[in-house]
Amino acid sequence: MSSSSDPTTTTATTTSKHETAVVLPANLHARPAGQLARAAAGFTSAIQLEYADRTVNPTGVLAVMGLGATAGSTVTVRAEGHDAEQAVTALAQILAVAE
Amino acid sequence: MSTSVGIVLVSHSAELAAGLRLLVEQIGSDTVPLATAGGTDDGRIGTSYDLVLAAICDADRGAGVVVLPDLGSSVLTARTVLEDHPRPDVLIVDAPFVEGAVAAVVTAASGADLKTVADAAKEARHVLKL
Repeated sequence: MSSSSDPTTTTATTTSKHETAVVLPANLHARPAGQLARAAAGFTSAIQLEYADRTVNPTGVLAVMGLGATAGSTVTVRAEGHDAEQAVTALAQILAVAE
Repeated sequence: MSTSVGIVLVSHSAELAAGLRLLVEQIGSDTVPLATAGGTDDGRIGTSYDLVLAAICDADRGAGVVVLPDLGSSVLTARTVLEDHPRPDVLIVDAPFVEGAVAAVVTAASGADLKTVADAAKEARHVLKL
């Protein structure tokens, strides 16, 4: 897992951008997609999942499943907002332990 | 969290509705009020006015109810029930049955309001699975 953050550019508004890449231990199938969607809905930051040049909003469970992300591939979690760091941490954790 | 929007699954088949219920409970949440109205009163393939009405009452926790029919007479029966018992907080939604139910339950589980849950089910039609 690698991560980067860039809080300096947005300190005036107290929002920040965060990003983490996760190598999937398993296919991103229905159950983890549901967990991601429910977790993502709990944050105010704008969150994106990127896989194979496609970007989706993780609050959409069907869109997350539609990525068709497979074990061993890399999914990038990106967030911008007041709770961006927490959002990226929470979603990356779900992806990292998906079975 | 306040009470969740309720979901009603209306199907010609009790087994189909029950199976979809198990699926959405695994993907979404087993805490969202969910009721099924599958098959006829005597267990055959078909739909039942009384089962639909009872399911709506069962799923209603005060935050509204989204009714998802599979097709054909499920739609007609659900519409008849809602015409006879009109309520602004009970909506029948035109959505693919499986995808709409998954989207609705996941969205309801995150505490969304009735319109947001209904929209999530409707939008399921436009999400590519391949």
